[in-house]
Amino acid sequence: MSNSYIVFGRRWTAQLTFAIGMALIVVFSLIPAVGIVVISFTDIRSLPFLPVRWVGLDNYRTFFSSAQLAYNVAALQNTFVFAFAVTIFQNVIALLIAVLLNQRLKGRNFARAVVFLPTILGVTVIGLIFSLIFNPSAGPAAQLWGMFGASSAFFGDPSLAMTLVILVQVWSGIGVAVVIYLAGLQAIPQELYEVADIDGATGGQKLRHVTIPLLAPSVTANTLLCIIGALQSYQLIYVLTGPINPATQVLSLAIFTQGFGGPQGGAVQSQGYAAAIAVVQFIIVAIISLATLAYLRRRETAL
Amino acid sequence: MSTMPVAAVPAGASTAPSGRGPAAESVGAPRNHGLAVASYALMALVIVIYLYPLLFLVNTALKSNNEFLVNPTGVVQSPQFGNFAAAWQQGNFASYMLNSVLYTFVAAALGTVMSLMIAVPVARGYVKHPKVWMGLFASMLFLPNTLVTVFQLALRLNLYDTPLGYILIMASGVGVGPLLIAGYLNSIPREIDEAAAMDGCGYLRYLFTFLPKLMMPVLSTAFILQAIGVWNDIILATILFSSQEHWPVTLGLFNFKGTYTSEWSLLSAATMIVAAPLLLVYLFLQRYLVASVVGGAVKG
Repeated sequence: MSNSYIVFGRRWTAQLTFAIGMALIVVFSLIPAVGIVVISFTDIRSLPFLPVRWVGLDNYRTFFSSAQLAYNVAALQNTFVFAFAVTIFQNVIALLIAVLLNQRLKGRNFARAVVFLPTILGVTVIGLIFSLIFNPSAGPAAQLWGMFGASSAFFGDPSLAMTLVILVQVWSGIGVAVVIYLAGLQAIPQELYEVADIDGATGGQKLRHVTIPLLAPSVTANTLLCIIGALQSYQLIYVLTGPINPATQVLSLAIFTQGFGGPQGGAVQSQGYAAAIAVVQFIIVAIISLATLAYLRRRETAL
Repeated sequence: MSTMPVAAVPAGASTAPSGRGPAAESVGAPRNHGLAVASYALMALVIVIYLYPLLFLVNTALKSNNEFLVNPTGVVQSPQFGNFAAAWQQGNFASYMLNSVLYTFVAAALGTVMSLMIAVPVARGYVKHPKVWMGLFASMLFLPNTLVTVFQLALRLNLYDTPLGYILIMASGVGVGPLLIAGYLNSIPREIDEAAAMDGCGYLRYLFTFLPKLMMPVLSTAFILQAIGVWNDIILATILFSSQEHWPVTLGLFNFKGTYTSEWSLLSAATMIVAAPLLLVYLFLQRYLVASVVGGAVKG
């Protein structure tokens, strides 16, 4: 290839348009990404006229300091609970729905469309819909609770808030997973099932020896997507329970709260500290997703 | 956008297979009566779980405040269509909606053009070190949380609280766009480039008019993916705008919730106002939207 005539390679227009596109992305996307690490060593604040000083590892020390540790460990715990619960429930239920809707049922296209709908609706609309459903004074959930003589503050109840947030996240995220599983199911060659039939395989055996091994790449894709998304997601939690609810405080939300006020820090809180949390979070996400990928790849070949 | 080709639909991912033969779909087709009944029952349950919240929203949006207080969960008796007009005016949704439409179209279009500008020369080897650039495109999917630096950047470039700053930042979040476009270009033979160059087509014309005609499916996918992200964003809008006049509709709705906390019918009407355009778009482009989102997700 190096010897062949490269068609548009020498054109300055090609270099220029590439440079313009790249420059915009570098300035508004990549510099902020790298900058997070840099400013995590400073005491930068949300007011532009204040001097910025290097503080070394101070922000990281603060993160692990006794004053902040309990809060941060709780946030970390919430993040893990949220991410793992969402990943597991979303994948299992999505797989079941995909198998269900892969059958020749009348109306399944409608069902698929409906399950996918929340992906388009977005967190604000979804958040409001479920605030309405779980309205503690007059919602249908409250009525259901009432039939058993119980009452609950739902999103306001510290012991229930996380469960409900997970439920809503699973409800809204399942559509994409279902469609990925459906694509995986339909890519399995029909002949394999016919051969299994000839060999007298039962439905369960077909599931175990044909469907599951051939679906493994879809499982890997879905699990990875879900775990990376869930470890970093907080928009829905923000809309449902607000930025400072301790029961649902996840690491990403802590970045938002520490960096942009909220009652704890107010405007004086250093955004360098929020950046340090973002770096810690990034490292955690990287480790977990790489480990998950390695594990799932090994499982794929073992099946 | 009116003539959207559907070539980007991944095999089997379509939600409305029309001309598909029965043989391709017979996997686990219910063989006996009992299983079929159970399957239909389960499917009905799934549909109810997804439709009930929406129907309940519509139901509440149509109630008068009094009716909601008396009977919050029952089916609406005397529908109040005036709720929508009231919510529209009290929530100032006309201006928010306009902002959202502007941000979404400009940011997604700019992002798609940027993706095209950087992906084409890399995929074709018209710039040095194409492999390094491809690696960079892939790594852009795994960036840390940049809320703080994006805010600082906007602040220091005098772009804080400006639509321009918000649009530039949203446009730069190109996500899988460059990867999708580069991948698609690999399926277009190089001879086409050579033929175009031979006919005296300049690179700019090649990039902005010749290629887009061939790549409409993938360009629409990139556009849709980014548009969904921009339209539904609430966090970046929260940290980048202080003036209410610049707010997108998501922020307007969230703020409306804070103001009219206990007026659930009005709040539901407002939510319906924000959801309606999305539902309408989904109704017409459903098949295409599904393919776009899933295509983008799997690539990621």
